[in-house]
Amino acid sequence: MSESRPVPVPDELSAPYWAAAARHELAIARCSRCGSLVIPPGQACPQCGSTDPQYAYKTMSGQGIVRSWTVIRQSFLPGFDVPFLLVDVELAEQPELRIIGRLLDGPDAPVRIGAPVTVAFERVADDVSVPAFTLAVDTA
Amino acid sequence: MSGQFAAAGKVAIAGYAHSMIERHAARPLGALAADTARAAIADAGIGPRDIDGIVTAALFPTAGAHAAQDGVAVVTADWMAGQLAALGAEPGYVCGFQGIGQMPGAVAIAVNAIAAGAADYVLLYRALHNPPGSYHANPMRQAAGDLQWTAPAGFFGPLAMIALPYNEYLQRYGATREEMAAVLVEARKNGARLPWSYWHKRPLTAQEYLAAPMLADPVGRLDCDLPVDGVAAFILTSADRARDLPNKPVYVAGYASGRQPRRRLPLHWPLDDIMGAGTQLATDLWKHTGIGPGQVDLPQVYDGFSPFAWFWLEVLGLCPPGEAHRFVASGGIDSDDPAAIPALSSGGALGNGRMHGVPQMLESYLQLSGRAGQRQRARAAVAVACQSSPHYGGAVMYTAERT
Repeated sequence: MSESRPVPVPDELSAPYWAAAARHELAIARCSRCGSLVIPPGQACPQCGSTDPQYAYKTMSGQGIVRSWTVIRQSFLPGFDVPFLLVDVELAEQPELRIIGRLLDGPDAPVRIGAPVTVAFERVADDVSVPAFTLAVDTA
Repeated sequence: MSGQFAAAGKVAIAGYAHSMIERHAARPLGALAADTARAAIADAGIGPRDIDGIVTAALFPTAGAHAAQDGVAVVTADWMAGQLAALGAEPGYVCGFQGIGQMPGAVAIAVNAIAAGAADYVLLYRALHNPPGSYHANPMRQAAGDLQWTAPAGFFGPLAMIALPYNEYLQRYGATREEMAAVLVEARKNGARLPWSYWHKRPLTAQEYLAAPMLADPVGRLDCDLPVDGVAAFILTSADRARDLPNKPVYVAGYASGRQPRRRLPLHWPLDDIMGAGTQLATDLWKHTGIGPGQVDLPQVYDGFSPFAWFWLEVLGLCPPGEAHRFVASGGIDSDDPAAIPALSSGGALGNGRMHGVPQMLESYLQLSGRAGQRQRARAAVAVACQSSPHYGGAVMYTAERT
């Protein structure tokens, strides 16, 4: 596709996330007060309420399970070929720690609730990569 | 909130007006809103100078890059106050609701103002606009702020938002789009009977529903309400004042709103968030009003996206959790069956057009005031008007008699 996808604009809170993604690592903000992982990090920790959470980014295993999915057939954003599949993934590191990304196995991939996935990355610009997922070997 | 609503039965709806709902109105939204407001004022048997409060929710619910020009794409309370000033009104209470669940939120603000004596006659309205071009398309090249967490991956806009919990529901309970067809058929059947509806005289078959294109599986085109231009206006006043006005008053028994769930990605609405907070909302409503779900003749569920109808039926306790798909498919909300629950007798958003919570509030008012004409129902003493997702939205209970 000739048009480019929207690229993230890192800010003070998110810069380590995008720097890690560029290295093809999934790093999630962790509140230094209570230790909980937070998606997305905000001005206060949603778990303990600290207004000075001093987030430190922690590299994840990249493992998770599918909680839901959708096949996007009409994109409202430029740069996406349709159809494509989005997965709502609960990361292995913490209950209800959920992130949404593309499933790179294609729109007809045999996805189901609870299917294990592994993080992958899509390069969308020079030094910019976006976390996505692929189906992992299903041992269930 | 503690205990029962102190203002229960103290505030009433005294009149209303509704514009035609059109794909694109011939006149600017502001003109349509001003005319509809004047018609509502006249319907209530008062004059513009009596209006001392103006309340609306002006949200333009697009993910696109459209400008929210006042008087064109939105109509703020300040804009309306300027209009009414030309007719001699000097409203001192001019206020907008900013959250989601716009109609319940705006009603709560109006009710509180009247109960507190901050305003005697409140004009409450909702004006919705359909801009030229795609409603949600956005040419963004960069995603900053909250959107950086979702848009770069292609998760964007309300269709993807509702597709995820809708699919969670289908997978968890073995529900199907064939069952969802019953929601659409019921909404459009009732909408087809409303002269102001965009879908007037245009009912829908299950086959037509299932044949419409898919947009974000399992969301198809007809699972989404149609963007429209339209305005509704209501006049609220104290129960004591309403008694001396021409229309039979309809009283506000109480309201409840969704409790904000845990912090999530923008527009990430997991099913358990929706149902958990929604169940709490309903519990609050019953406690607040002292009236339980079994006493509600007209629970008017919201349906801006079709799965919301299932979600509201369950959180209101009208069927067991996980059963709404079967309940609706087996005729449970058929407005023509006296034994069923007429939960979409308003036509809803799917049967009117994208009027947000207006159809639910209007149906509550029309039925409880005895103004529903040929559609008038025999049992119409208590109604509940819902809007938005149960976890972000709200619900207002209305009664035909003072509580």
